[in-house]
Amino acid sequence: MTVVLVILLVNFPTWSEQAAGPKPKRIVSLAPSVTETLFALGAGEQLVGICTFCDFPREVERIDRIGSYIEPNVEAIVAKAPDVVIGVPPNSPEAVAALQRAGLKVVIVQVDTIEQIEAAMRTIAREAGRETEGEALLTDVQRQMAAVQARLDGAPQRRVLMVVGQNPLIAVGSGIFLNELITQAHGVNIAADTNQQWPRLSLEVAVAKQPDVIIDGSMGSEEKDEAQLFGVWQNFPELPAVRNNRLYGRRSYTLLRPGPRLAEGFEEIARLIHPERFQ
Amino acid sequence: MPMPHLTKRKWLLVNCLLLFGLAGSILACISLGAVPVSLAHAWDAPSLDNPDYVILFRTRLPRVLLAAVVGGALGVAGAALQALLHNPLACPHILGVSGGASLCGIIALIFAGTATTGLSGVWRISLVSLAAFLGAVGSMLLIYRTALNHGRLQPYALLLTGVVFNAFCGALIMLVNSLVDFYQSHSILFWLMGSLAAQDYLTVSAIGFYVLLGAGWLVGQSRRFNLLSLGEESAAQLGVDVEKLRRGAFLASSLLVGAIVSVSGMIGFVGLIVPHLLRLLFGADHRLLLPASALGGAIFLLWADTLARTVVSPTELPVGVVTAMCGGPFFLYLLRKEGRKAFIR
Repeated sequence: MTVVLVILLVNFPTWSEQAAGPKPKRIVSLAPSVTETLFALGAGEQLVGICTFCDFPREVERIDRIGSYIEPNVEAIVAKAPDVVIGVPPNSPEAVAALQRAGLKVVIVQVDTIEQIEAAMRTIAREAGRETEGEALLTDVQRQMAAVQARLDGAPQRRVLMVVGQNPLIAVGSGIFLNELITQAHGVNIAADTNQQWPRLSLEVAVAKQPDVIIDGSMGSEEKDEAQLFGVWQNFPELPAVRNNRLYGRRSYTLLRPGPRLAEGFEEIARLIHPERFQ
Repeated sequence: MPMPHLTKRKWLLVNCLLLFGLAGSILACISLGAVPVSLAHAWDAPSLDNPDYVILFRTRLPRVLLAAVVGGALGVAGAALQALLHNPLACPHILGVSGGASLCGIIALIFAGTATTGLSGVWRISLVSLAAFLGAVGSMLLIYRTALNHGRLQPYALLLTGVVFNAFCGALIMLVNSLVDFYQSHSILFWLMGSLAAQDYLTVSAIGFYVLLGAGWLVGQSRRFNLLSLGEESAAQLGVDVEKLRRGAFLASSLLVGAIVSVSGMIGFVGLIVPHLLRLLFGADHRLLLPASALGGAIFLLWADTLARTVVSPTELPVGVVTAMCGGPFFLYLLRKEGRKAFIR
C-alpha cells in the first residue's frame, strides 16, 4: 500500500503534465546546425532565438536573432527566457558561462565527427522533447547516406584535396566530419596525415601528392564545374585534378553543415569525386 | 654623434659579402623543402608533367625569390624610417599604411576571393592584392595630410598618426571579422598572418622591379640621412632640404610597404631588427646601412620562410611567427648586451 502511494506521489507531476499536454520547451539556438536540426525535428516553432548565421530553412526569417555565432548576446538571450540554450564549442565560452550564471540551462553539443553529429542530433531531440522524431531523423539520414554509398560501390579510390583558402592554403585535415565524408565517398584526403582539422598545408606537398580531385571553397570562388582554371591552380595545369576536369570551385560550405543535411553534403562531395556515378 | 669614417673598401667588402650570402642562401633554400625533390631530374625534364620540375620551379623558386624581395624591402624601409622618424622603434608597419592595406585586403577577400582583374600579363593582379595596395596608397595620403602641420612633416606627428591609424584599422578589421561567417573569419585571420606562397614569376618580378626602384631611391638619399641624424637644424645648415627629404622618404617607404603587404600580408620584425643588428655590426653610416639592410633583410626573411615551410611539414607555420620567434628574443639579447649603443641612430 505504502509502495503504491509513493509511486503515485513521485509520478504524479509527470502524469498531471502529460494530462494537460506538456508545455513545449522554449529553445535558443546558437549555431546554424542546431537550428537546422530543430527544424528537421519539427521543433522549429519552439525556437525563440537564433544566431545571425542561422540561414536555413527559410522559416528562420521569422525568428529573432540573439547575436552572432562567435559572440552570442547574453542579455538578448536572457530576455527570451528560454528553457534551454543549445550551442556548439566555437560559441564564446565567456558568454556560455554568463548564461549559466544567469540560471539558464546551456547544452553544448560537439559536432566534429559524424559520430558526434549523430549524438548531437539525439541530444537536441531529447532537449526539445522529441526523442521519437530524433530517432526517425537519424534513421532517415543514415538511409540517405547508405543510398549514396550504394551508388559508389566498386568506385576507385581518388586522391582528394579540399581547401577553404588559397593563400595560405588551408585544407580539410583529419578529425573532422568532412574528412570522413571524403573517405566514405571513396576518396583519400591527401591532407589527412597532418593530424589537424584545418591544416595550413604546404603547396609543395599538395602538388607532390598529385590530387585527382580538388574542391576549392576559397572565398568568392565562383561555382565552377568542369574546371575553369582559377587562382593558384593556374600555375599547375598538369595536376591530375585539373587535367581530368575535377577542379571545382565551391563558394562556401553552407551545405556541409554538421546537421541533418549531412547526407545532402555527402552526396554533393560524392558527386564531385565520382561524377560518373551520378549521371 | 661619432661616426667612424666609412671607407670605400669597407663598403664594398660588406655589401659584396652580403650579396654572396644572399646568393648562397637562395641556392641553399631552393634545395630545402617539405618534399624531397631532385634538382637534376627537374633540370633534365623541364616540363609541367614532371612533378620535380613543378615543385621546384613553380612553387619553391617563386616563393624563395618573393621572400628575398619582401625581406629586402622591409629591411631598407625599416632603416629609412628609423632615420626619418628619429626613433629606434620605427618599423615598416608603424606608418599605418599596413593597417589600411590589410583592411582593404580583407574586404576584397570577402567579396572577391581568388578573383583577378582579368587582364593579361603584369596587369593580371588578384583583386585582394590590388585592393590592399589601393588601401595602402589611400591611407598614405590620409596620414600625410593629417600629419602635415603648417606645411611641415613632423616626425612625432607622423608617428602618432600612424599608430592611431593602425589601431583604428585594427578595430575595423575586428568589426569585419565579427560580421562574417566562421570559415571567412578563419581565412581573414590566416591572410593577416601573412604568407609568401602562391605567387607566379610575373608577380614576383613586377614586385621586384618596383622594390628595386623604391629601395634605390632611398639608398640614393643615404648621405642626406646621415646629415639628418646630426639633427634637423644642422642638416638644414649643411644644405639638406629637410622637408623634401622627409616627404620623399615617407612616400617611398609607404609605397614600398604598401606593395609588400598587398602580396604577403603583415610580416613583422624584419624591418625592426635587421637595421639594428647591422648598425651594431657595421656602424650607423646610412651609406652602408641602407643597402646592407636591404640585403640583410632579404637573407633573414629567406631563412625564416624556409624554416616556416619545413619545420612542421607537411603543414606550414605563418612566416610572421618565425620572424618574431627568431627576432624577438635576439633583439632583447642585443638590447641587454649593448645597452644604449643598440639605439644609436
